[in-house]
Amino acid sequence: MTEESDVNRRQFLEQVAAWSAGLAVAAPVFRIASAQTPAAGAASPVLAVATGKDYGALVSSVLEPLGGMKAFVKSGDRVVVKPNIGWDRTPEQAANTHPEVVKALVKQALDAGAKEVLVFDRPCNEARLTYKNSGIKEAVESIGDKRASCPFLDERKWMPVKIEKGKVVKEWRLYGDAVKADCYINVPIAKHHGVGRLTLGLKNVMGVMGDNRGKIHRQLGQSLADINLVIAPKLTVIDATRILLRHGPSGGNLDDVKVLDTLVASADMVATDAYATAFFDMKPEDVPATVAAHEMGMGEINLEKVKIVKV
Amino acid sequence: MRRIRSMITRIPWRYWRRLTQAAFLVAFLWLFRQAELRGDDVPGFVNLPFRLDPLIATSAMLAARAIIATLLLSLIIVALTIFVGRAFCGWICPLGTLLDWLGPIARLFKNRKGVGSRRWRPIRYWLLIAVLVGAPFGLPLVGYLDPFSLLQQGMTFAIDPALRWSADAGFGWLYFNASESVTNISEPVYAFLKDHILSIEQAAYIGAGISAGILLVIFLLERAQQRFWCRNLCPLGAMLGVIARLAPFGRRPMRSCKGCGHCAHTCRMGAFDDGQRLEPQACTVCMDCVDSCPHQIAQFLWFLPKKRAAAPTTLKGAPMDLSRRGFIGACAVGVALPAGFAAAQATGIAPANVRLLRPPGALEGDDFLDLCVRCGECMKVCITNGLQPVLFEAGPTGLFTPRLVPRTGYCEFNCTLCGQVCPTGAIQPLPLADKQQFKIGKAAFDEDLCLPYAEHEPCIVCEEHCPVPDKAIKLTEVEVEVETEDGPSTIVLQQPSVDEELCIGCGICEHVCPLDDLAGVRITPLNDDDAGENVSA
Repeated sequence: MTEESDVNRRQFLEQVAAWSAGLAVAAPVFRIASAQTPAAGAASPVLAVATGKDYGALVSSVLEPLGGMKAFVKSGDRVVVKPNIGWDRTPEQAANTHPEVVKALVKQALDAGAKEVLVFDRPCNEARLTYKNSGIKEAVESIGDKRASCPFLDERKWMPVKIEKGKVVKEWRLYGDAVKADCYINVPIAKHHGVGRLTLGLKNVMGVMGDNRGKIHRQLGQSLADINLVIAPKLTVIDATRILLRHGPSGGNLDDVKVLDTLVASADMVATDAYATAFFDMKPEDVPATVAAHEMGMGEINLEKVKIVKV
Repeated sequence: MRRIRSMITRIPWRYWRRLTQAAFLVAFLWLFRQAELRGDDVPGFVNLPFRLDPLIATSAMLAARAIIATLLLSLIIVALTIFVGRAFCGWICPLGTLLDWLGPIARLFKNRKGVGSRRWRPIRYWLLIAVLVGAPFGLPLVGYLDPFSLLQQGMTFAIDPALRWSADAGFGWLYFNASESVTNISEPVYAFLKDHILSIEQAAYIGAGISAGILLVIFLLERAQQRFWCRNLCPLGAMLGVIARLAPFGRRPMRSCKGCGHCAHTCRMGAFDDGQRLEPQACTVCMDCVDSCPHQIAQFLWFLPKKRAAAPTTLKGAPMDLSRRGFIGACAVGVALPAGFAAAQATGIAPANVRLLRPPGALEGDDFLDLCVRCGECMKVCITNGLQPVLFEAGPTGLFTPRLVPRTGYCEFNCTLCGQVCPTGAIQPLPLADKQQFKIGKAAFDEDLCLPYAEHEPCIVCEEHCPVPDKAIKLTEVEVEVETEDGPSTIVLQQPSVDEELCIGCGICEHVCPLDDLAGVRITPLNDDDAGENVSA
């Protein structure tokens, strides 16, 4: 996505949002030229892997080979850090992104000059419990910077978005703050999943989907690829500090958790998802969403073509 | 004799009374607002009004045939009534305060003070006896006649959601249509209202119209007489009135002075009988007559009973406004109502109590119905809005008891709020570990609807959400033939089924099933064999 189309897209969205009654079914729907991840078309995407116990420092190390946070966040950007805050579980239970990882990313974005950093999700369990027990709301608020916040969703901000290049999902209501972000940073946690096999970077986008999300499970892999066409994170950091091996995505049993103290980061979401399958003794092709996204040119699934930097 | 004078002599009593009424109304509303999850937990004192209410206490204890310790707090109000008569009604009761403040609107500011027609007065005794007789016989009428219950139901089911909806609609309209200079003001105001005044979430309740209708009727009755409900219908008032007659407290003079009659005309409760004597069972000590006495004669005071005997003209009040015949008649009605319901259920005219999905920790069957005072606290506090009022599914005696409606809201795995707020123990407060094993019901798949079975399409959103750590929904991989664009092909599909040992019937599976109308998996109440296994605290 070029600088120019970023600005045009934002202006366009703001103008339409200003006069649209977003709640009405007949609201005008936004057409966004399908964005391509920066990695697509790039010669060889860079993927960084870092391991360590200090999760705050780990975030800095894993971003370094990619050019640091300033390669993604420009001064004055409206940044969205989208973790997995899906489940009413504690950090030890490995159902949500680790709060320390989220906090470190938010700090980095603030240091890079972000105008605001929003952290949110649309939880599967009740929002108040989920935001609290995941530890993420508290972690973001403990930074003490007014620019960073972890708000509950505002029902007025859902907006219908057309996905022209989508193969099975042609239109969906997405969260306005996510669509309008200047820099969207995707921070999933790596977990086992029933129908999706694994839930990684591509699946994390479900947190900005409105309406009856369960409906996409009939064709989950392709649907996720389609939605990610319009959300198009600039950076994906897979939280593999601890992973959920079984009974995902909600987990609950500490026996199903494996501590790896690892982060995987890249601008190429398909590459991160491909790499993370190794943690579960699986192959990249085992995850339908990764395959679907690769076939649409959204990233590289073949790890031999990815420049892997181990920090 | 000791007289009580206005505390600072110049200030009329009515200012103190209004201040006190306002304070208790604000306290009631504040407790109402606290009965939802805002921070870490819901404070235990949110059900205080229901524990202070002597009618609820008496009814619940009669039904349980036991002393319920948490409800003994109501002795405070009994003691108050013995000390100062029916002052609870005049100074504390929030419904009374709302009728005082909003009643003028209903009667278009016409005056409806004074005695008026007395023909409805006995009804409150019929209702009181019906409540007290019905309680031990399985007809807990208190939930439909107690002022706290009715006010709480109306506010929880109808008024609070309507307020939130209106605010969302109004501020939402401004958000989308108004200029930035307006939204710069409206958005912070909206945020403040959401944090402090409005309910934290938009909730919706089945049958909200019924509770709203009840409050509306009570409000509209103000057109006929001021404080119509309090004078003629309120069984709590009737009970406190009987106790007030025992109080060594009253007004001097008890009679309206000859040739004046001002007291009787000013009295908001019409608490004077045909002989112009003040009725202790009706007087709510509002002090209007004291403040407005043209000759500054009237005052309230305490006296020993023998003083009253010595001064019958000035200190002896009106007799009980229920004659012996009236009392027998009241008993007849009071017994007939429960008997009628029981007969109706026995003959099958009214549906018998069926097993419903009750909150986790709820007692079984009739025990639950006996103790539940329909206060609505559990439904108010349920964080997913899953607890809904029963209407007539469980027969006429189930109205406004709670049941879980999974399609509306499921039972959140880590939550025990309903048991925490129940004032009578109809829902036992379970420790979290016990609650997470308490079977509300069990899930059952409808293979004619569930996608992997009926349409050979992958789904299992239900299994994803099952909170039981080892998953109460198990998956079986099957190979099925499907038609694709390129012709028939074989795919591997995961088909879900319920592990009945593990399933606690929380309902999240039914809640998230992506089908549009009937879910492919639904929670059904336990049959008799399963039900006995539950842990009771």
